[in-house]
Amino acid sequence: MIKKFIHQFASPKTYLFQVDRFYHYIFYISLIIYVFSICWGLLFTPEDFVQGNSFRIIYLHVPASFLSQSLYAAMAIASATYLIWRVKLAAYLVIAIAPIGAMTTFIALVSGSIWGIPTWGTWWQWDARITSTLILFIMYLGLISLHNSFSNFEKADKLLSWLVIVGAVNIPIIKKSVDWWSTLHQSASITLTDKPSIDVVMLYPLIGSIIGFFGLVICLVLLSSKNQILIREKNKSWIKDYV
Amino acid sequence: MFSFVFNSFDEAIYMNGHGIYVWSVLIIVTISLSIFFIIYSSKIKKIKKKLNESN
Repeated sequence: MIKKFIHQFASPKTYLFQVDRFYHYIFYISLIIYVFSICWGLLFTPEDFVQGNSFRIIYLHVPASFLSQSLYAAMAIASATYLIWRVKLAAYLVIAIAPIGAMTTFIALVSGSIWGIPTWGTWWQWDARITSTLILFIMYLGLISLHNSFSNFEKADKLLSWLVIVGAVNIPIIKKSVDWWSTLHQSASITLTDKPSIDVVMLYPLIGSIIGFFGLVICLVLLSSKNQILIREKNKSWIKDYV
Repeated sequence: MFSFVFNSFDEAIYMNGHGIYVWSVLIIVTISLSIFFIIYSSKIKKIKKKLNESN
């Protein structure tokens, strides 16, 4: 039953038409939320007592950091879907997400480094959170390079999916690194179980910036996956009708 | 909740010496997102054009 459901709703053709239908709505709503939240956070929230104005980097760093891990988790789920149910679209999504994941991880690393200068007095420290995030960035680049080195797409998809699943072990390590080891990086300000340690005045624009950035990144994933489908399905008759 | 926390535009840019960090991160994020949107949009346009020509 699950297999039938997945195959019905995950055909590249259905997906492509749905992407065209919803893309613009998601893009404009996300852009409005993101711009509004960033303006709110950077210009309308009070200065932090300890960090001063540099704390405002939180509105740019946290969404990127959150997405860098979430995108890898999404890749792992898509990989498992491809390997278990042989859903082609899942394989396309894995390689479509990888460059976007690399971009968000790059933003997380660079923004974290810049934030580190005024707060820690150093732009880099080989501590658990930063090092495991750097490993995630290298993993993204490695997966992209590996996939591009194959001329046979099917072989590349299979190998990539297995590697993504194996590499998923790094995600809980990144998440828990601030609890397991003594690091410079502060522990999470927002968790699902505890009350946020950040004041609501600063929290609301942060949630807005996460939602807005999430929407924009989803749009990038939709564009990237559309690009993959057009490349991989170019010989299919329905693609000719589509373009 | 929505009161401008700086006394002037210059103060908002300077942010007591932290403006350079905050605004540079904003520029990096904006450029990164824009580049990716432009790259993917142009790639899709190119592929569609190629497929149209081959039809």
